[in-house]
Amino acid sequence: MLKIIVILALVLSLYAEEEYQLGEGIQVASLPFFVGGYVSSDYRNMNNENRYRLDDIAVIGYGSYDKFSYMAEVEYKGFYTETYKDDAKDVNKNNRLNTERIYLDYNYNESYMFRVGKYNSPIGFWNLLPVNVLRDTSSNPITSEIIFPKFTTGAGATYSSYNEAELKVNLMLQNNEDIDNNYNNYKIDKHYGIGLLYGKDDYAIKINGGHFNRLDSSLATPDELYYFLLSGKYDRDKYQFQSEIGSQKSKREFTTNYAAYIQGLYRFTEQHIGILRFESYDDKLNNKKDDIAIVAHTYRPIYPVAIKSEYQFHSLHLENQFLFSLSVMF
Amino acid sequence: MKKIAIASIMLVFVPLLSLANEYAVISNKNIKELSESEIKAIFLKKLTFIDNFAAVPVNLEAGDSLRVKFEEKLLDMSFERLKSYWTKEHYLGHRPPVNMKSEESVKAFVKKVDGAIGYINANSVDDSVKVLYKWSD
Repeated sequence: MLKIIVILALVLSLYAEEEYQLGEGIQVASLPFFVGGYVSSDYRNMNNENRYRLDDIAVIGYGSYDKFSYMAEVEYKGFYTETYKDDAKDVNKNNRLNTERIYLDYNYNESYMFRVGKYNSPIGFWNLLPVNVLRDTSSNPITSEIIFPKFTTGAGATYSSYNEAELKVNLMLQNNEDIDNNYNNYKIDKHYGIGLLYGKDDYAIKINGGHFNRLDSSLATPDELYYFLLSGKYDRDKYQFQSEIGSQKSKREFTTNYAAYIQGLYRFTEQHIGILRFESYDDKLNNKKDDIAIVAHTYRPIYPVAIKSEYQFHSLHLENQFLFSLSVMF
Repeated sequence: MKKIAIASIMLVFVPLLSLANEYAVISNKNIKELSESEIKAIFLKKLTFIDNFAAVPVNLEAGDSLRVKFEEKLLDMSFERLKSYWTKEHYLGHRPPVNMKSEESVKAFVKKVDGAIGYINANSVDDSVKVLYKWSD
């Protein structure tokens, strides 16, 4: 925590050329370097358990110079948690500073970009903006949690074309350990993935496929896994539909038969947004199968501030839950 | 009689149509022809290079009526939706285009800087800049 405060104090002590606006970061002196971050806290009521959590405290720094651009993000995850159940109180503190992202991009020309470092795996749509303040609901769909590695540490390449429509091809290449293995949904030392995006007007569809190698495998949980994800999105000023469906298998069998969600979002006003999401999955690795309906409301007094509430109805009734969160991007 | 009626209607309405305001997306002369989709990608900072030049999109200030028209016509996004877009892009390490106070400043900047691209009233266009796209009210 002290490190974060020191970084912020240092930044704020320097002169910024631009007028600061919440949610857009601040330029450090007149350098090609911008600093921002986000925080989020949440409350969960599930199965007679109340959990209060200061979850994310993150600082990001980025910029670009000539054909290079760079990004770094460090974060405290699950910084402080208080849980109450049957009159018993449990407190958890996590003071470990994680490296969430750190990468360097080289823009070879208007079509090709190369990347080295740790980055959000460009798989589907949800995983590109996974932080609470930017995503639509406090919770993440299961599809974005169990099918593929959220982060890749290694190399990446992107081909983009915007002639009459948006066409993008992403390659993800990892053949080494993660920079910060504690900060990924899978501990991996190999990930080869490819993604193809086609977007025109308000529509976008994306197909991803890949293979990764788990380090924490066991007899019950194999190491070599293959995944596939199909995503679609339709986005207008007033409303949005988004869906992702994926599957995962080992060499012998399906480890996740399917995980899918479809979400509709309606902007009643710029501040008030209603969300309805249906999810279903059959996860063989964790021996869990569930259908979920989520009703959510997000209030954004200004866009970088999100006050969200949601209720989840599970076919596994013990997992029915209410979530409330407050998050800010700065 | 019918032909006379049509001719009369044309006489009245054609001059009115020509009064519609016309606007132009302009670029530095070194820039190649760009499609509508590429112009949109440049202003959303999805496309950051054109040939070997860094693309430098230039906006008029927030609230400027021509900027609102440009964003509705070319970007097909409302001001609020763009605000949310740039907050998301901040997380991804991208900055919004720089703002300029007047169309004269935009034109002077575009003329001077390789890769620069902006929008002005079509009446202000001259040989010093290249017209990539035109639209009217």
